[in-house]
Amino acid sequence: MNVNFNKRDPVYVQVIRYFKEQIATGVFEPGQEILSRRELAGRLKINPNTAQRAYKEMEEAGLIYTERNLPSKITKDEHVLKSVRQELIMEAVDDFVHSVRSIDVPVDEVLDLVKEKYESTSDGEEVQND
Amino acid sequence: MIEVNGIKKKFGRKKVLKGVSFTAEKGEITCIIGINGVGKTTILNAIMNLTPLNGGEILIGGEKINKHSYEKITFIPDAIIMQPNMTIAESMQFMADFYDSWNQERAIELLDFFKLKEHEKINSLSKGNRAKVNLLLGLALDVDYLLMDEPFSGIDIFSREQIAEVFTSHLVEDRGVIITTHEIGDIEHLIDEVVLLDEGEVLKQFNSEEVRETEGKSVVDVMREVYQP
Repeated sequence: MNVNFNKRDPVYVQVIRYFKEQIATGVFEPGQEILSRRELAGRLKINPNTAQRAYKEMEEAGLIYTERNLPSKITKDEHVLKSVRQELIMEAVDDFVHSVRSIDVPVDEVLDLVKEKYESTSDGEEVQND
Repeated sequence: MIEVNGIKKKFGRKKVLKGVSFTAEKGEITCIIGINGVGKTTILNAIMNLTPLNGGEILIGGEKINKHSYEKITFIPDAIIMQPNMTIAESMQFMADFYDSWNQERAIELLDFFKLKEHEKINSLSKGNRAKVNLLLGLALDVDYLLMDEPFSGIDIFSREQIAEVFTSHLVEDRGVIITTHEIGDIEHLIDEVVLLDEGEVLKQFNSEEVRETEGKSVVDVMREVYQP
């Protein structure tokens, strides 16, 4: 587990984002146990209060759940899982559109370039088969 | 909570603290940053009741500091103060003899955490390992508050990482931690509260996560604004 935190976004937000990415890409599977708050703080070298905050927010958003005193787990809720993936895709698209707009390229030209680039990388192939 | 209320300190004619106020909560890491050397260690000494003040007061858990305060707090100086020809085990024994609050179990756990060997002599250790022994001797005391003077100063990156990790672990638990530093470096994500000090005055106190959330600024961004307006 290695996260490159930036220094200007709240750390808890970055932790949640990391979890969403792992969920969306299937690294964290539905129902999988996750590290305790303390373990996560140690692993990422972040403040334990921040890890606590991230877990609290994720619990409220239904991304993770805790039964009795057992370790927390990744949600099995299909609806939530789908929306996580959707959210990340939309964010990436928004960022992309934003940066492309700023250099003023016609959308068709960009889309051709995107397809070309996408097909030439192995990362892209995996997603295509999806 | 530790409440520092308008404390003043003069050394001769020099005003080192000109009415310093801030608070430090239990379960949080409060970092006192001062880029111009003076004042930080004096504040820690004042909280430990080791230096008479020229004004202001300090409350610990709502109580004015007194001769029993040291049962609740410990001060970890910026360099180890044990005899250099002592072994780690001997220095642990020294602490155990001296302090009722010594927790041998935690001390052993810390030895293991830092991968230190008991029989080694302090003067044979690297700078980083010496800093870890220094920290161990303080952290093994069962006290509510830990004051550390420049725990990250002058040691290698791997020792720094290990020390950062101990802060996140159950070994520090829900105690209150106050650390001083002159450069924030790689511990931005570790600290809760930041107290910016300059020329014996507090220029600003803020919560690091809050300033990221509400202003989109890093701790260093805020420092730049405060110290270089």
